[in-house]
Amino acid sequence: MQIDALALRMRPRTPMEAADLGVRLCQSAARPVYVCYWAMGLPVVALSLATFEIADWLPGLLIWWAKPWLDQTILFVLSRAAFGQPTALGDLWNAQRRVWWSQLPLSLTLRRLSPWRSFTQPVYQLEGLPLFKTRRRVLQIRRGKTGPAVLMTSAFGTAELVLTVAVTSLMFWFMPGEVSRATLFSQSSTFIALPMTIAYAAVVLFLEPFYVAAGFAMYLNRRAQLEAWDVEQELRRAFAE
Amino acid sequence: MLDTVVAAETPEGIILELHPAGLPARFYAFLLDWLIRLVILYGFAIVARFLGGLGMAFWIVLLFLLEWFYPIAFELGRSGATPGKKTFGLKVVMDNGLPITPAASLTRNLLRAADFLPFGYGFAIVSMLLRRDCKRLGDIGAATLVVHQPHAAPRITLEKVEPVAPVRPLAPRDQAALVALAARAPTLTGERLDELAAIAASVSGDRGRAGGAVTHRVLGVAQWLMGRRT
Repeated sequence: MQIDALALRMRPRTPMEAADLGVRLCQSAARPVYVCYWAMGLPVVALSLATFEIADWLPGLLIWWAKPWLDQTILFVLSRAAFGQPTALGDLWNAQRRVWWSQLPLSLTLRRLSPWRSFTQPVYQLEGLPLFKTRRRVLQIRRGKTGPAVLMTSAFGTAELVLTVAVTSLMFWFMPGEVSRATLFSQSSTFIALPMTIAYAAVVLFLEPFYVAAGFAMYLNRRAQLEAWDVEQELRRAFAE
Repeated sequence: MLDTVVAAETPEGIILELHPAGLPARFYAFLLDWLIRLVILYGFAIVARFLGGLGMAFWIVLLFLLEWFYPIAFELGRSGATPGKKTFGLKVVMDNGLPITPAASLTRNLLRAADFLPFGYGFAIVSMLLRRDCKRLGDIGAATLVVHQPHAAPRITLEKVEPVAPVRPLAPRDQAALVALAARAPTLTGERLDELAAIAASVSGDRGRAGGAVTHRVLGVAQWLMGRRT
């Protein structure tokens, strides 16, 4: 790891403050992050919405299920942005084996239910350790920091829920004609499920990079703490030849 | 380099670094404040039941006061933060770093009504995620900022090493870097410590060398900088 190439200023931060650094990283790398993420996310959302014919709750479930897999694309772009490297779709395509396929089975099963997934995902995806060593490494990274990681996940989870309801209610506000409460609840469930699913998809497409970035920054902060990256940055600045 | 920082210049020309607080910390501060208000209202409701209609009237007045003036009262208090914000190490200040004024506090809290739209602080969430200074609409309107309070650095105890005089004068910031290295030394692995000390090896005249002895001398320089001479 080349700390001198890191484009983020490391200083002692609380985990919550580190999450803010992640949001800042996501803002500054917004263009490559959203280009790559939407290139993957829009087809997934479109395919999921196509299952609306089977059951009206299915698209939402599929999008929810695919999120950890989509996160891997986001993390790939963010991890390069953290070192000041731009990412184009071509770079993503060239790294597809590492980014899309090698973590796929675990991402869609065990890690889908992990309440700190964006915090530990960099270990699985970026450190490239053999599988039997990752477990110990993840425990080391998590030691004493699991609480903040769970809190951060539930904060973004709540934000996702709130924004989904917010976007849905906006749709009803701008719906032509009168929608009274009686018609809203007397209609078939599709009447409310479709706008809600579309709202959820839109929110996931907007919010997910911020969540992944927050977890990634918390991970970097943890490593900086374990390996004194902040001290190294200062020493390199002070004693550069 | 990228950092969450807002620079504020004082009239004396001093640049202050403010660290704006983002969504996760503020969400939990809000949640805690909300729970506190809920407990107060619930407790008062039990009392109010025995007072009949009058109690109900008082309860509604209390509801109104808590909803609108709970944050204002605490923000204008000495700590500049509601209990929730204080728990998570946050504080409300003007965006030039000065303490919050009554007008600004009133504005930012009345504008909660705008932040709340379209549902559950939806606009506030989007605004906090998209802005570098993590302001919600009320903060923009009132020119205020919610910041992480600087946490006190833990007291430094350095391991006893023979003090070594640096071979050249060092700027204050460079001295701080060396002392920081010495303070973190016990938490690092031996290899990592040697690696870091090698970067600073020129202070003890060991430029280009690395290893346990060099590390020892660099830590000795840190001791010297802290004022130990024997």
